[in-house]
Amino acid sequence: MTLHSVILVAGILFITGFLGVLLRRNTLIVLMSVELMLNAVNLAFVGFSRYNNTMDGAVFVFFIITVAAAEVAVGLAILVALFRRRQTVMLDTINQLKD
Amino acid sequence: MDWTKVFLSILLLPLVAALVNMLFLRRNGTTAALVSITAAFFSMVLAMIALFKCTERYSVSFPWLSLGDFQASMGIYYNPMTATMLFVVTFVGFLIHVFSVGYMSDDPAKGRFFTGLSIFMFSMLGIVLADNLIMMFVFWELVGFSSYMLIAHYWNTEEARSACKKAFIMNRIGDFGMLLGIAWTYWHYKTVNLQALEVFSSQPGFVIHGGIALLLICGFIGKSAQFPLHTWLPDAMAGPTPVSALIHAATMVAAGIYFLCRIFCILDAQTLEVIVWLGSGMVVYAGICAFAQTDIKKILAYSTLSQLGYMAAAVGLGFPGLALFHTTTHAFFKALLFLGSGSVIHACHHEQDIFKMGGLFKKMPLTTALFAIGTIALCGVMFTSGYFSKDAIIEVAYFKNTPVFILLILGAFLTAGYMGRLFYVAFLGSPKSQNSEHAHESGFFMLVSLVVLAGMSLIGGYTQGWAPFARQLVSGELDTVHHQIVSLQAEGLFSVLGILPWAIGFAIALLFYGIGAKKDALQNHLPSVYSFVNQKLWFDEIYGFYVRNVQQRFADILNFCDVVLVGGLLVRGTAGLVGVVGMMARSLHVGNIHIYVYWFLAGLIIYWSFAMGYF
Repeated sequence: MTLHSVILVAGILFITGFLGVLLRRNTLIVLMSVELMLNAVNLAFVGFSRYNNTMDGAVFVFFIITVAAAEVAVGLAILVALFRRRQTVMLDTINQLKD
Repeated sequence: MDWTKVFLSILLLPLVAALVNMLFLRRNGTTAALVSITAAFFSMVLAMIALFKCTERYSVSFPWLSLGDFQASMGIYYNPMTATMLFVVTFVGFLIHVFSVGYMSDDPAKGRFFTGLSIFMFSMLGIVLADNLIMMFVFWELVGFSSYMLIAHYWNTEEARSACKKAFIMNRIGDFGMLLGIAWTYWHYKTVNLQALEVFSSQPGFVIHGGIALLLICGFIGKSAQFPLHTWLPDAMAGPTPVSALIHAATMVAAGIYFLCRIFCILDAQTLEVIVWLGSGMVVYAGICAFAQTDIKKILAYSTLSQLGYMAAAVGLGFPGLALFHTTTHAFFKALLFLGSGSVIHACHHEQDIFKMGGLFKKMPLTTALFAIGTIALCGVMFTSGYFSKDAIIEVAYFKNTPVFILLILGAFLTAGYMGRLFYVAFLGSPKSQNSEHAHESGFFMLVSLVVLAGMSLIGGYTQGWAPFARQLVSGELDTVHHQIVSLQAEGLFSVLGILPWAIGFAIALLFYGIGAKKDALQNHLPSVYSFVNQKLWFDEIYGFYVRNVQQRFADILNFCDVVLVGGLLVRGTAGLVGVVGMMARSLHVGNIHIYVYWFLAGLIIYWSFAMGYF
């Protein structure tokens, strides 16, 4: 397993996530896509860490996962609150910011 | 005795009274009057104590404001001048306060009125005591403010509203010159302290700077209503009569003369020449104008202008002591005349036209007698106070400057003429209107002040009876004048000249106007002359023309610059630019999260290209 293949998988994951953010209209999916991008970066971290034979990147990943867990908790909570208020989580109906 | 405390009390008592009246007694006029009178009374008592007991020059100074090297101080400089003026201001001021109780008894805004009187006293006392020009200027402006406030007492009449503005603006013009003069004094002499300037100017090799003197006397011209800023004084008659008395007798216009005497040491020969001609010109000009007035107060106002001319001439001829001597006697008899006219106006239900009065000697004999005393004192009839002070000035002019002498003699003649006209028409004969028929003698408060002032008008000129310290002011100069007259062998001439002008003036007025005339004889027989005099040499019209056609045009240009350049281009231009940017930025906000992702991406690309150095 070379660095290249790791970077490739990470890149594919990142682009998948990005396209998900860009194209999907369900907020839940968008949030999942954001997580996917985050984990693509995590994967790259681990790959580089292994390539360099240091633990720095791997340790960093743990921090990112911890923070990401908190972030997802908050994000999902907002989503629940949003759904309760508006009965929908579709992005094209959530455009009040422009007014 | 601690004189600092005494002088501070004299100064601050009226201020305290004004504050108490303003803050607590606006609706309680009677109590306000009591507070103001009490303050004025104690000020007067303390000033009298100082006059008799404080027999040395005294000065004290407190730092007030320091900016780097520059230090402004508040202080007191007491000399014979100060002693005399302190007495005059507090004494006459107190009597005017007492008179006001009677005069303003049915006025709804008594609280405001007495607040004004007290603040006026405070400001004037500040000028009298001030030991440096900056402090003097501060109080000078306060006098301007308080006169503005008092002239506007009847603010619901158009006349009073415009008169108070006129007084204030005319004074501001003079004060601007004075302010420049003070700044220049500091720059040139390195001090504005009066005592320091006196010491400085007595040193050998001292050269007086003429420009400074000319600028400083602008303040005098404004405040003492001399040419060309004299037009405000007759209009200031729109205020209540006690205020006119206060402005004309003891405070405002006297402040100008007092200021000249205080800075006499830094006035140079040319400036004094200017003052002489301003003064003697005003003596005759105002004397002539008074003939075309029918309002009793305006006649007196022009007579004040004319008497101020005498004082200015005395200063200009190099005799400031005599100027203050005349200021003092004038304060007594002019306050008497104004308060007397106030008594008449009050009795005649605010009728001020002398051709609608008449016959008052039967209805109000005491007021008439007292007014007559004021009249003879003003005209300088023998052995009244006016005789001593005015004759001394005329004698000075005799051996110093003959044309001025002739003008002053002419002025004395005119004075007797218009005062005779006023007296014959208003007091003698028979009543000419309902108002004067129902006139009645005034009450106790008004008469008591008139009686005291009449006494002072009669005996105030005997300097032998003055407090020794105040007497130093005039005794030396009177002796000089006396010796000069003796050496010129002109005593005989002056024993005639002491009688002739007023005797002729009274006689001609009697013959020409007659007792209790119903119409102005001058207007009847020589209407063209009358209307010419009535125009007062078109000063108001000239100023009006200037303001309308020159100043207003200039103001229009400035207004255009303001509206178009500052308002249009700068203020609205900037706002418009920001608005356009805002509109553009707002159009980026579409409310769709996907679009924001593109913006984010675009931002990222721009940032990245910056980081790579593509831009």
